[in-house]
Amino acid sequence: MIGLVAGLFFTIQFFIPHQEVRQLYADGLRWLIVVATFAIVLALGSLITRHTRKVQRQEKGWGYSMVTLVALLGMAIAGFSTGTRPGTLFNKLFLHVQAPMQSTMFGILAFYIASAAYRAFRARSKEATLLLLAAFLLMLSAVSFISYYIPYVTTVSEWLLMVPNLAAQRGILFGVFLGTLATSIKIILGIERGWMGGGK
Amino acid sequence: MKDLFIKLAKIDRRYIFLLIAVAVILPFLMPLNFPTRATSHTKSVFDIIETIPPENNPILISFEYGPSTMPECHPMAYAILRHAFARRVRVIGITLSADAAGLGEEALQRIAKEYDRKYGRDYVFLGFKPGVTAVMLSIGEDLKRTFPRDFYGKPTSEIPMLDSVHNYTQIPLVVPLTGSATATFWLVYAGARYHARVADGVTAVIAAELYPYIQTKQLAGLLAGLKGASEYEHLIYRAGYTKTKGQASRGMDALSIMHLVIIAFIILGNIGFFLSRRAPRKGDQA
Amino acid sequence: MIPMDTVWTWIAALLTLAIFSFLYKDNPFYKFAEHLFVGVSAAYTLVILYYNSFVPNLIVPLFREHNYWFIIPGLLGLLFFARFIPKLGFLILFPIAFTIGGYAGLSIGPGLQARLLKQLQGSMLHPADFADPGLLINKLIVLVGILGTMLYFYFSKEHKGILKVATNIGIWFIMVGFGAAFGYTVMARASLLIGRVQFLLTDWLHLIR
Repeated sequence: MIGLVAGLFFTIQFFIPHQEVRQLYADGLRWLIVVATFAIVLALGSLITRHTRKVQRQEKGWGYSMVTLVALLGMAIAGFSTGTRPGTLFNKLFLHVQAPMQSTMFGILAFYIASAAYRAFRARSKEATLLLLAAFLLMLSAVSFISYYIPYVTTVSEWLLMVPNLAAQRGILFGVFLGTLATSIKIILGIERGWMGGGK
Repeated sequence: MKDLFIKLAKIDRRYIFLLIAVAVILPFLMPLNFPTRATSHTKSVFDIIETIPPENNPILISFEYGPSTMPECHPMAYAILRHAFARRVRVIGITLSADAAGLGEEALQRIAKEYDRKYGRDYVFLGFKPGVTAVMLSIGEDLKRTFPRDFYGKPTSEIPMLDSVHNYTQIPLVVPLTGSATATFWLVYAGARYHARVADGVTAVIAAELYPYIQTKQLAGLLAGLKGASEYEHLIYRAGYTKTKGQASRGMDALSIMHLVIIAFIILGNIGFFLSRRAPRKGDQA
Repeated sequence: MIPMDTVWTWIAALLTLAIFSFLYKDNPFYKFAEHLFVGVSAAYTLVILYYNSFVPNLIVPLFREHNYWFIIPGLLGLLFFARFIPKLGFLILFPIAFTIGGYAGLSIGPGLQARLLKQLQGSMLHPADFADPGLLINKLIVLVGILGTMLYFYFSKEHKGILKVATNIGIWFIMVGFGAAFGYTVMARASLLIGRVQFLLTDWLHLIR
């Protein structure tokens, strides 16, 4: 019922420009923001529970779970005691501990993509060859001196992006949106209840 | 020759990693200074900010990238902020991702200092708010109600620069800097509902998906990846808004060489593949 | 006395190298760095949420502005934690229903306008397009591509005859789209690596300015 009321209200309000409805809608949005905050806190609670359990039961790798919990506690204490402004311990830990590690974790993907390109990217069929050629052209256009001295490469890759790629992306976009629309309506009307965890 | 290619195809991947590392490190130690040409989508963003009157309505920059997408989006943030502050265009900074709060603040403070811009008069940072689409829609109703306080706890009703800013109507351009689907959410929620003008700065991964929106002019401009960032740096450098080219331009040499290495890998791999597929000749049979 | 900035830079550099060490093989330094990252980033999110969302959107409206309607979302949010009490676990469905129903409703109107109608409008041929042969050809190609792509994902009928021809055309367009996506993905991942190398060579080793 809550889902139905919330869903119907937020759907219908889009078509009603009346001031009272707009006010209700603005308040409703702030409510959504508040509830979303708690959802994120819940996720963090689950993380703490899992690692605490691992340490309590001294399961394999519990030492690393201890590292996680100590790091979490330390960062939280730094944040709540010193605040989040630049120059605070919290800010320094973010810039010099979290940010470098997070960037590096994604940075190593470059090595794996190169390895995958060498070992697996094969023109086994006409379609695969087409994929390869499109990728090839786009990567060439990303090479500064080639796109500068051979403008034709940029022209062709721009055409590739604005015509065939656009067609494919738009076709997929239509399909995805229509599916999302159907699912949203089913959720609001209570036909789709998978989010409830398997119950009727 | 055929055996060599087949052997190369089975090489330990750590040698490939080593080659990639060399391809990235060398251009930094021996700069090649490759020239850059800006694409039309990048130029569109530049042209829009060029037409915004100084010390008037502010642009809204939404920092939605974390450390994982920082190398592409942070140089974009620097370049756009340099352009805005050099022209005395006001800036409102927000973030819809918790990771980005520290990065957005760092970018604003650093570039504002370069151009001697004052907080509260020339720029403001409203901080992080969860809810993504709810926040985008809420700004369309009332910016100050969505962000009752700025990142530092000061009531937004007391910030001089926000006196005349109520919603998207007073914001000539929204620039989300993001590596996620929020790039399209701004077009859908802020653009469609409140007719906000949106120009995205995105990581290269999602750039290809945005071309349908460029064609329908729902997206006013696009900065795609590190290349897009370096193109924008090139534009503001040429216009005299900055004396040095930025971080992205320095990285373009390494990006170009790395692309060439990967292209070479793909060609080599496919040569080996085709050679190993060729049927053995009659004379080869024992 | 070593300046604190240098200490912080060394911490960042050593943690970066610990993560990179995974390229050789999995090792205790990498595992330590990985678990440290999980803890630090979880606490970062919590602190930022508290100062930037919880305080201005719940504490201030309730206790400073005396807007007691905000008790409702506050209580709804607290119901998320019913998950940890086995007998009351079902209560979590209320805030989930509100969030899912709300966001589902929010997406319909703007989505119809921006993702469907505007995109349909952009796909259609306009009389003015016929004046420019280049533009007309491109728009016709786009139209054929969109239809082919959508038909490729239509599985209610077997792909044979004229439908097979259309879906084959769709596959070509999809392959070009995926090729473009791959090309851009290579650029994206390479950029991330370049960012880290730039940090190590500039800020840590001072080999470049």
